[in-house]
Amino acid sequence: MKCCRLLILCAILLPGCTSVTIDELRHRQTSVEIAEGEYVVLLGRRQSSNYETEPELVDCISKTLASNNVAVIPEQQFVDALYPWFEPRTAPMRVKDMNRLLARKQVAQRIDSYKIRYIIWVDGNTETTGSAGSIGCSIGTGGAGCFGFGTWDKESDYEATIWDYRDLQNLGKISADAEGTSYMPAVVIPIPIIARVQNNACKAMAEQLYSFFQPVGASQNNVPGLE
Amino acid sequence: MPNTAKTAVLMLLLLLQGCTNALKVEGDFPIPLVKPTAHNIAVYYDDTFRTYTYTEESKDRGKWIIETGDAQIKLFNQVLSQLFGDLTVISALPEAEAPLAADLVIHPKIIEFQYSVPRETRFKVYEVWLKYNLSAYNSHGGLVADWILTGYGKTPTAFMLSDEKAMNAAAVVALRDLGANLSLTTLRVPEIRAWMENKSRILATVPASPASETVEPKP
Repeated sequence: MKCCRLLILCAILLPGCTSVTIDELRHRQTSVEIAEGEYVVLLGRRQSSNYETEPELVDCISKTLASNNVAVIPEQQFVDALYPWFEPRTAPMRVKDMNRLLARKQVAQRIDSYKIRYIIWVDGNTETTGSAGSIGCSIGTGGAGCFGFGTWDKESDYEATIWDYRDLQNLGKISADAEGTSYMPAVVIPIPIIARVQNNACKAMAEQLYSFFQPVGASQNNVPGLE
Repeated sequence: MPNTAKTAVLMLLLLLQGCTNALKVEGDFPIPLVKPTAHNIAVYYDDTFRTYTYTEESKDRGKWIIETGDAQIKLFNQVLSQLFGDLTVISALPEAEAPLAADLVIHPKIIEFQYSVPRETRFKVYEVWLKYNLSAYNSHGGLVADWILTGYGKTPTAFMLSDEKAMNAAAVVALRDLGANLSLTTLRVPEIRAWMENKSRILATVPASPASETVEPKP
């Protein structure tokens, strides 16, 4: 029993390795700040036919920013309130498309009611790029057990585009590429050593977005809880 | 039949039952943010539409039974009532001898339902395609417009999400997309636009008539 507990503890404490690369592009070098009473909304791009920006990734970035005193409107609440103008086939693809949308008085009023200052579009996904190994399990009268070794690679590729809703400008882009390998050795009990690729991409993206909204030249405050 | 045989048949039936994915699509749809037009509209849902259930007949695919009747009625009621301001659900199409007080009657029909599951494609998404034929009639049953409307929805596979829940989510996204299409394109259908312009012109030239017959409000 103690052995089992130890193995489970090992599985929790031994995360697989993940590497994250962050790139930032600013279209203007002036400060981008969020004033008191201004809100940010993060929206996932879902127009591609072969992948979908995961709602949980958008939610993860939103929650991480919100935990650092950035006022964030939940994605689903915003999209439902603006239905059908931010659906996959109707959402504005470029910042200048917002002019067409804001020509409708009721749409402009609804967005204004949320006191939105920045709209952040997140596009990308996480996928398994390769796997190897095998694990066999068997059950007999004497008990059950598994033996073998499995490994799989995951890659995350996300890009966030920041729009200034007040000035209708594209402020810049942040990309987060993460990759990691998970392992599962099995000697009687399989021990998963999971690389939290998507979660690390989320944390890195949130940290970079947080620093994006700091005054230019100010020291970067690390988001608490990030490595 | 001996007990052993009965048990075997029962087990076989249970196994076969286990291979079927059955679901009744359920979900909520937001109220569209569109400016309503002031028209008295009726909608007619025939029995096929009300009880629409897709049953997979292909032997090469998994057995799926997907019931969308209630969900699509909920969507159409929500979108049409917001789009036109006043909506009544009627039980029969109008005829020349039995005209309705409604300005326009809309009759939606589902003509195609398609889906794909991750094991059939290399993408880890469930997908649903919907295709509807909408017909609009005047109060005397004359055809005003006839057009096609489509909806597409997909949902990524998620850990611990059952096949039925994932398919339901994809169907709700497809209906939501259909609702977006219905909200934004109905008033752009050339025949509907011409009918509305004509109606406005008549209203502008003819003085308002005294108390006219009203359609029963939506329950």
